[in-house]
Amino acid sequence: MSFRHLTEGQLDALKEISNIGMGHAATALSQLIGETVLIRVPQVTVTEVSQVPDILGGAERVVVGITLKVLGDARGAILLIFPKESAEELIHRLLRRGPTGEGFDEMEVSTLKEVGNILASAYLSALGSLLHTTLIPSVPLIAFDMAGAIVDHLLIELSEAGDLALMLEAAFHDRRGSDAVVRGHFFLLPDPGSLHMILDAIGVDG
Amino acid sequence: MIQRQRVGISEWRLAEAPAILVAYGLGSCLGIALYDPQRRLGALAHTLLPTLLPGLEGSRPGKFVDLALRAMVEKLEAAGGLRERLVAKMVGGGQMFEALYSRDRDRIGLRNVRAARETLEALGIPLAGEETGGSSGRTMEFDLETGAVLVRTVRNNGKIITL
Repeated sequence: MSFRHLTEGQLDALKEISNIGMGHAATALSQLIGETVLIRVPQVTVTEVSQVPDILGGAERVVVGITLKVLGDARGAILLIFPKESAEELIHRLLRRGPTGEGFDEMEVSTLKEVGNILASAYLSALGSLLHTTLIPSVPLIAFDMAGAIVDHLLIELSEAGDLALMLEAAFHDRRGSDAVVRGHFFLLPDPGSLHMILDAIGVDG
Repeated sequence: MIQRQRVGISEWRLAEAPAILVAYGLGSCLGIALYDPQRRLGALAHTLLPTLLPGLEGSRPGKFVDLALRAMVEKLEAAGGLRERLVAKMVGGGQMFEALYSRDRDRIGLRNVRAARETLEALGIPLAGEETGGSSGRTMEFDLETGAVLVRTVRNNGKIITL
């Protein structure tokens, strides 16, 4: 059993969980910023981890990567990727200030980690209720560099487990516009045992 | 127009002048170039792990530092290269995320670098240059015309180094 053979029904179920999770995350972010944030999940797909840099716009594209381990009865990893511009927009909205230079300072790094924490916790809470268990994220780790370099770290961690990840596109909207102000990708990379738990819970027949 | 060939993760590729072999966005992965200057023939591997692990026997040899190196030497010799003339250069083996969970010597990037040194020594191939460790992502361009390896980063204002 693997992600590779998911039916439409199973993907829909995963999309539903993702929407619930991101809904919780949006509520938390809205409270943090003091204005309404909506997060939509237009697409849930299964992808080869080695293809991820291409999906993100090429191995040399500069992105912010935030990774957390999933702790609890189900294990795995979460990877959040924001294009540089989207990460700057998030900082701008959360800290109410513009870009400070080439990289990110301590305050900005900490802010982005917190966003990662909120999204991961909300997602894991939704996934956990489906699995009737408690899932919690580890402390987030962050890197700002080429997409290829950020992803190969996870490929190595997963190399014993298989090379597939569940990918959610996340589009952050504010109250005003229909265009997303921030776009990110959210990857769930379960270890093989946890994958079985998830697939059992959403129904093998879809 | 010089032919640029991309070497993806877990792949390795053989080429001769006037080609350029490129491994994009190396993090903990290790890019290893082997070059026969006389024949202007070489190969580039984009490796992920130091050595073959149990349960991964069906994987591509290009995934593993030791297997990739041995496979490249074999194919270079078959293509008219001479092992005695080969020189190696390597790039990558960094640590992209701070290590909360592991000690220094356990870092996969450093283990890749160590595996490459050991295998090169066993094969009797000298290491002519390296840009390894640290915490930057790197792109590696291997020019088969000259054997030069160009290393590009996006941090530190896009520093470029030639090995």
